[in-house]
Amino acid sequence: MKKGPRFFIAIIGLGIAFPFLTLLLFSFMKGWFFPSISPTTWTLDYWIQLFQVEGELLQTSLTSILISIFVAFVSTLLGFFLGKWMATHPWRKWWLLLAYFPFVLSPVILAAGIQFFFIKFGLSGNFLGVLIAQLLIALPYAIIIYNGFWSPSMLDREKLARTLGGTAWQAFWRVSIPLSSGVILVVFFQTFLISWFEYGLTRLIGLGKVKTLTIQVFQFVTETNIFLAALSGVLLVVPPLILLWVNKRFVINQWI
Amino acid sequence: MLEVKNIEKSFEKESVLEQVNFQLEENQVLSVLGRSGSGKTTLLKIIAGLERESGGEIIWKGQTLNDLPPNARKIVYLYQEALLFPHLNVFENVAFGLRLKHENEKVVKEKVGAMLEALGLGEHENKMTHQLSGGQKQRVSFGRALVISPPVLLLDEPFGALDGETRKQMQDLFFKMKEQFNMTALFVTHDIKEAIIIGDKLGHMQNGRIKLYEDLAQFLLDPATEAQRELKFWEGVKADLDNYPSKDS
Repeated sequence: MKKGPRFFIAIIGLGIAFPFLTLLLFSFMKGWFFPSISPTTWTLDYWIQLFQVEGELLQTSLTSILISIFVAFVSTLLGFFLGKWMATHPWRKWWLLLAYFPFVLSPVILAAGIQFFFIKFGLSGNFLGVLIAQLLIALPYAIIIYNGFWSPSMLDREKLARTLGGTAWQAFWRVSIPLSSGVILVVFFQTFLISWFEYGLTRLIGLGKVKTLTIQVFQFVTETNIFLAALSGVLLVVPPLILLWVNKRFVINQWI
Repeated sequence: MLEVKNIEKSFEKESVLEQVNFQLEENQVLSVLGRSGSGKTTLLKIIAGLERESGGEIIWKGQTLNDLPPNARKIVYLYQEALLFPHLNVFENVAFGLRLKHENEKVVKEKVGAMLEALGLGEHENKMTHQLSGGQKQRVSFGRALVISPPVLLLDEPFGALDGETRKQMQDLFFKMKEQFNMTALFVTHDIKEAIIIGDKLGHMQNGRIKLYEDLAQFLLDPATEAQRELKFWEGVKADLDNYPSKDS
């Protein structure tokens, strides 16, 4: 590669990494007071606190991971079969329109609209309520992505496998699953990220009782606790970075 | 013998097939000519078990197939598109049906190898499907169907998406394979010439009804097939060509 493009790539890379590096730096600071041009006190306290079992941030991180994995898993699985069901349904267009509906509204407005029902069914302010609320946006998203996968030719391939002597299970296992592995991974990653960064719905339905990392970051920011907010921010970025790497390693490379 | 008795199919209030009756003898190819929307594809899908009929019976060697799932009927349906499995190479695509039956590896290698040779695809066995031309894909599709020796093959305009030259090559290949594998097949097309080349027996479908012909002359003389119009067109072209002044004159 010539020097010119390499230099620009380095600049772009630095630009992308800069916010993350800043957060990382802030997570090791304790004080930075005017007019000092560099931080006055450095500390490992926040990171040590993080790994303490009773630490709030660790609990919040685990809650977030649990919620996001559950939401991603259910959306990916249900979306796969609902997408297939929709693909052969005469009302396909209407179902698809319905799937777009949660994205027409902002999550906060959606939450305001459904909050009454969540209160009525005792789902407000608890873990299950947050899971269901997040599924209301993650599942339609999964269905929209799968809609492109369940094309007529994909369905015909499954049928062809049946006429070649395959049972419904064999057609599913030997044709649908291998052909859908890429889209399944993409849906899982995307719905994980939707759940991971979800704020409005989780805030309104969880009523602050269910704390996710995203909510925690906002809380630290509003409390002007920038160093803890930075640490939470770092934690918030780690799973997407891992997913990005996995995506590049196993999904993108698979199709190139 | 495959017997199709009084098959009917309606989608809501729209009738697609009406009282379809015919018999297909073993080792015989029936070409069915018909325009788009005449009900050809629906008929094939019903025979293959991919679509449920509204009424009537499908019988193979005295056994009613109506309630059997597609895999139990052992009738292979070939689409217009080759619909190869992109995650498998050429060898594994052809071997697909044998793998479903859990055939042992030696048998798979022998049968698939012989099939690939017969199709002229021996040197392409390790290629992935996106590396093949349209004609090669269609040949792999044929091989994938024939290797499991299906009692009946249903072909839904299999050469429809190919260019003229490749189509001609595939028709020749089909003819060769028909002889070699004693094929029993129902071949639907909207191309008169193709129907005549391929079929031992000829039929025509229109508005959900099928008509079978005793011989080629009957088929050509029936105004419904539009064979006369086609013949007139080519006779006109030939007359123009005969009257064309040669360079010497």
